[in-house]
Order: sequence, then C-alpha cells, then structure tokens
Amino acid sequence: MSVCELPDFSDESLLRYSRHILLPEVGIEGQQAIGAAHVLVVGMGGLGSPVAMYLAAAGVGRMTICDDDTVELTNLQRQIAHHQADLGRLKVESAAAEIARLNPEVQVEALARRVSDEPLQALVAAADVVVDCCDNFPTRHALNAACARMAKPLVSGAAVRFDGQLSVFDLRHAESPCYHCLFPDDGGEANDGPCATFGVFAPLVGIIGSMQAAEALKLLAGIGESPVGRLLTLDARSMQWRSLKFKRDPDCPVCLQRP
Amino acid sequence: MPTIAFTHHLQRHAPAHTVAVDANSVAAALNLVFAAYPALRGYVMDEHSHLRRHVAVFVNGAMLRRGDVLSNPIPPDAEIYVMQALSGG
Repeated sequence: MSVCELPDFSDESLLRYSRHILLPEVGIEGQQAIGAAHVLVVGMGGLGSPVAMYLAAAGVGRMTICDDDTVELTNLQRQIAHHQADLGRLKVESAAAEIARLNPEVQVEALARRVSDEPLQALVAAADVVVDCCDNFPTRHALNAACARMAKPLVSGAAVRFDGQLSVFDLRHAESPCYHCLFPDDGGEANDGPCATFGVFAPLVGIIGSMQAAEALKLLAGIGESPVGRLLTLDARSMQWRSLKFKRDPDCPVCLQRP
Repeated sequence: MPTIAFTHHLQRHAPAHTVAVDANSVAAALNLVFAAYPALRGYVMDEHSHLRRHVAVFVNGAMLRRGDVLSNPIPPDAEIYVMQALSGG
C-alpha cells in the first residue's frame, strides 16, 4: 500500500510523523499501531513527565495518566511536564495541558487519584501497554499484579539519587518473569528512601523516563527486543550500566494468577 | 577468588568498591563483609537471616533462585553483585 492510499493519516500527520515513518523498523504500519494505541501511565512526576511527553510527541493515540499529587516548587527541578505557572495545580491537569501543547491529536484521560484494586484492573484491561512511573512499592506491586492478571506488558522504571533501574515485564508471554519474581512483595518493609529524603539528579529521571517511552513505543510498534528478563541499572555518577538477568520464579504467587 | 560489589545505594554501609572474598558461597562472602561492616547486615538480611525481599543477589550477572542463592556453591571466578529495588519516580 502506498502512503497516498492510507486513510488514517492526513497530510499533516504524515508530515508530523515522517521521521518515524522513514524508519524501516517503524514505517506506516508501526506509526499506525502507535496511533491506535492506548497507554496507561501511572505517575506524572520525574519519570512520568518525559514518558508522557515522548509518547505524545510520537503520536500515541490515547493516554490515561494517573497521579493524585499537585505540583510543588520542589518538583520543578526535574518534572519537566510542569511549569512555574502550574504550582498548586493537579499534576494530571498540568501534564494533560502540556501533552495538548505538544500534540493536540492525543486523547488524554486524566485521573487525579491513586490507582488501586478494581479500578486498576479495569484501567489495565483497557490499555495496550502500562508504564510504571510511580514512587512507591505498593503501587508497583499492585500494577504488576493487575498486568499479570490481564496479560499486559509493563514497562517499569525507577530512579533515586544517581541510581536508575529499568525493565520490561511482557506478561503477554508465559516465559516472561514479573516484578514479583524479581522483587517479591514484602508487605511494605522496603524503603529505598524517597526523593524528598535522598534527592534525585534531575536528568536521571529524563534518562530512565525516555528509555521507558522508547520501550513502550517498541512494544506498540513491534520493534526489536525488549529487556524482558533483564534488569538494566544505571549509576549516573560513572554513567555505567549493568544488564542483570533474571527468570520467572516457578513459586511466584503473582504468576500463579496469570491466565 | 570471588569478588563482591554492592549497589551504590547500599554503599553507605558497605565497601565502596569491589572486594575479593575467600568464600565458596554467597552466604560465606556476605558474612565476611558483614564482619567488617556490621551495619550492612540489617539492610541485606532480615531477622531470620533470609535475604530481604527487596534485595537481589546476582552471580556473574544472573539472579539465582532466591531460596538457593545464599547456600549454593559459587565458582572461583564468581562476581557477586548485591542490589536493591528502587521505588522513586
């Protein structure tokens, strides 16, 4: 099919996404898949900002963004979706406005609440890819459990101080481990120190968040390989990456719930 | 001889650099480090001397099964890496 025969793209859209479409790995089909996709992004802070902005710029058709926080002055050092004029505003409203400025074609559903249990199951079920940009372990485990139950791919990122972590749990595939296989839920014992205590290097969340956006787009367009069964860790002091392998835990209680 | 290294997040209580350990298991290697850095034990192990669930140990770049990782024999060239989950976003 030639470009001229494609009904889903206006001339303006073809131009907007031309640098993607030129990539053989993306092409028209990949860009169409991106445009038809629905991505759930949980957390609109340091990681969620670049994730939402890159997914919007790249033409993801629909995004659901979740966060119950409001924009504070301490956020502006790194949370690039929010601006000085947004102080006191809900982060999802601020981010939705930024997404609209970047790409008004993107449909955004902004949920100003912490996701949990049944609403989370429904949100995950409606998404093609889930991106975990949250800032706490209970939500990370809840998202993982929902993705496992709904067989949805989960792109997970985390960042504190100068340390970053990234992995993809492609729970559509039986051999993929889940987050619980890597770090079992400890009932709230874990504490790596929040950003408010230890700080976080501003561009670190940009690096990890941009990689999360890349992995989400790769999943949507079917490009390359995802780091499934690999945990990528970054020490930004030395800019040294490690790639650590892990497998599905046959005793994982979350995986026992997978379809 | 095996070596052991800790994620930077644990280095407030652990060696800042990779160290050689005369040990034939992860447990033996950890105990050698705990002897020199007693405060580290509580960050890595729980009160039952099990690995904390948000801590993971990798040997030569691969995670071993959680129940086996401490006691299984390790090769002389083992590179042990101890890290923990991060939650910040």
